[in-house]
Amino acid sequence: MRHPAAVAARALFTGIGVIVACVAAVAHQDRVNPQAKALAAFQEAVKKYVTLHEQLERTLPDLPKEATPAQIDQRQRSLAALIQGARKGAAIGEIFDREARPYLRKLLYGIFTGADGKRLRMAIQEENPGEVVTLRVNGRYPDTIPFSTVPPQVLRNLPPLPEQLEYRFIDRTLILLDAHAHIIVDYMTGAVPR
Amino acid sequence: MMTRRSALTLAFTAIAASWALRGAATTGVPPQARPAAAPPAAEVVALPNRSDSLKFAVLGDFGTGDRAQYQLGEQMAKLLARFPYELVITVGDNIYGSERPQDMKRKFEEPYKPLLDAGVKFYASLGNHDDRVQSRYKLFNMDGRTYYTFKAPKQDVRFFALESDYPKPEQIAWLERELENSGEAWNIPYFHHPLYSSGERHGSHSDLREVLEPMFLKHGVSVVFTGHDHTYERVKPQKGITHFVTGSGGKLRRGGLDKKSGLTASGFDTDQVFLAVEIDKDQLFFNAISRTGAIIDSGVIERRKEPQPQP
Repeated sequence: MRHPAAVAARALFTGIGVIVACVAAVAHQDRVNPQAKALAAFQEAVKKYVTLHEQLERTLPDLPKEATPAQIDQRQRSLAALIQGARKGAAIGEIFDREARPYLRKLLYGIFTGADGKRLRMAIQEENPGEVVTLRVNGRYPDTIPFSTVPPQVLRNLPPLPEQLEYRFIDRTLILLDAHAHIIVDYMTGAVPR
Repeated sequence: MMTRRSALTLAFTAIAASWALRGAATTGVPPQARPAAAPPAAEVVALPNRSDSLKFAVLGDFGTGDRAQYQLGEQMAKLLARFPYELVITVGDNIYGSERPQDMKRKFEEPYKPLLDAGVKFYASLGNHDDRVQSRYKLFNMDGRTYYTFKAPKQDVRFFALESDYPKPEQIAWLERELENSGEAWNIPYFHHPLYSSGERHGSHSDLREVLEPMFLKHGVSVVFTGHDHTYERVKPQKGITHFVTGSGGKLRRGGLDKKSGLTASGFDTDQVFLAVEIDKDQLFFNAISRTGAIIDSGVIERRKEPQPQP
């Protein structure tokens, strides 16, 4: 039979061990969670937008298989108008919110300052008009500005988007583009390092 | 008094004219009258124009609505009369600027009306100037998809139209699958951004090359058609694959080729160009034709039989 003091000491050490393990786990969670939380919040905001997009798109008549350019153009502009109406007052940062922004910036800085960073920056900045374009959330993507090419190495490192949305860049700004409605859903400045 | 420059120009013109005449004598599909400004070319390889071959054209960076686009369109119509091609693959930048219905008419339907009226089908791929909704435009035959594959109506050929402007991981996985499953002898990818190019404006897209080239090598691709740089270039075979840049279907960047790149097998940067292609069994014949009807490059490519080992 063990001495009571030894039993008490063992219980004490076990208790301390459990406490240390819990503190460590909590500390680990704190280290992991901000990014996971930011990603989850971003994905939630994207999901909310796409739900709205789909709801509004369903109210429009389907394009016939043999759609004319007039019908295609009309549908795109009608969808844009519906989204713009439903998101009246939408401001910058609604999707790229205060949690998502540092997360995405860190991700993009990692990509663009890595071993292939210079090459990838050059690829996205091809035919880039620079700072001359005034961007507007909910506004039509300018017809005269070509799309930035987004290399596969960038796309595979960014959070995936549903089919309706695309990442694009103008100057150093990351744009979330509604590819069906041709409108800027949100944007984030300073996304690409100089 | 004749300057040194004008003397050189005169000499060049005389050489070009003599080469143009030689070309006219050797072409199976008779070329149009060669302009004096045609460059000295190698012996022209005629398109055999066989009855059961696959005949198609390649066109890129064309939708400007400008006179030059219409003039090249006229050459495409003239060729159709003597070389009955069934389809045109486009390597992107199909419509520049506004894409309203009237633009689709002025920048596409009118310049190629004789081809469309004759039943020639266009199979488009998208460039960085193209709105994604072009995929719904029936005359581009994309069926709502921004990347797709289709079997050619003749010969053992499959085309792969890629969206190189936005190559999502899903598309890369799809391409690997489709190439793997393709039973065709010729697998021909076409898209906007060139993996190899001597264009001074854009040049080679090594980021895209890193992802696509290993797949092309693995699956025995022999030729790749691209655009983006507003010049014509046939790149020296790279790891056995011949890359064409046909980005001067409407736009043109005069003097836009870097002559010192070491990549060029044949280049042309002084006029608009489209490519006429004929595939018969294991051979691909091509003629690059300028706005004046001159054949500025021609040749024949043998199909690669064995996939290259992975680097």
